[in-house]
Amino acid sequence: MANFILRKAEPKDVSDILRLIKELAKFEEMEDQVLLTEKDLLDDGFGEHPFYHCVVAEVPNEQQSSEGHTVVGFAMYYFTYDPWIGKLLYLEDFYVMKEYRGYGMGSKILKHLSHTAVKTRCSSMHFIVAEWNKPSIEFYKRRGASDLSSEEGWRLFEIDKQYLVKMSSKE
Amino acid sequence: MNYTVRDSTPGDCKDIMRLIVDLAEYEKMPNEVKLSHKELEADGFSSNPFFKCLVAEVPEEFKSKEGHTIVGYGFYFFTYCTWKGRVVYLEDLYVMPEFRGKGIGKALMSRIAQIGRAQGCVRMQFTVLDWNKPSLDFYSSQGALNLTAAEGWQLLRFEGEALEKLAQSAN
Repeated sequence: MANFILRKAEPKDVSDILRLIKELAKFEEMEDQVLLTEKDLLDDGFGEHPFYHCVVAEVPNEQQSSEGHTVVGFAMYYFTYDPWIGKLLYLEDFYVMKEYRGYGMGSKILKHLSHTAVKTRCSSMHFIVAEWNKPSIEFYKRRGASDLSSEEGWRLFEIDKQYLVKMSSKE
Repeated sequence: MNYTVRDSTPGDCKDIMRLIVDLAEYEKMPNEVKLSHKELEADGFSSNPFFKCLVAEVPEEFKSKEGHTIVGYGFYFFTYCTWKGRVVYLEDLYVMPEFRGKGIGKALMSRIAQIGRAQGCVRMQFTVLDWNKPSLDFYSSQGALNLTAAEGWQLLRFEGEALEKLAQSAN
């Protein structure tokens, strides 16, 4: 089995996208952290100024999953900006359902994204990976990715809503 | 000393570029800055901007030794978290050394937090170099969490030849 197509996500795909987001979160051992709803995905991805872009991998009906799904993989990305080199493509989520792995889907998605990055004149494609996720780190390194956390010492930070509110209320 | 924090205009791009280079020098990577102020102008002030930038300005009578009145900047854009939704990403935050200790950095960051909250953002995210103790301390004091340390996230990238090679292998 190797038939699949990659296509731009459409509004009708939001329930499949959310399903796959939750599956990936489960793999990352953080399933209860997914608070996003289908409506959020619809508003944020298909409005006038989308906050993200998404491609999905779809198999024909006769190859649907054990639960009857034909959308079996996705990648979500957006454009960011590096003041030193300009536009970048940021790969936020990238996932293929377990039963569809080993057929080159992941590879094809990554190639498609890198093609998008080059076409839109992005200097680089960035993403984060959990340090314990050895299979993914190897997958990316085999394709030429560099690990900026170990090579340059970058550390990822976040300021959560409660502190944002606190900060924005004192000026 | 008086200062104002305001939205940048296309005319500020030369000053913003000057400060970007200053910050790159502080981060020990001045040769990495390839962008020109013209590209910054094209990418930041079109109908589909790739970034937003606030500047901190002092009155003429407080200008820097070299005669500058734009003395700090906060460079940001919007990204997306598949678990929780909209995120404001703080790409660069910098205040010239002679203007530090007056709350300008905090003011820039607070305004960006406010803008983020107005857009429905659930968090602010950014990276810091692991040796940059003054910044690490400043952000911790504002309630920031080091996700690389706490959750093991590593920042990776595909760029230059690696990106080209990956893209060329797409159909």
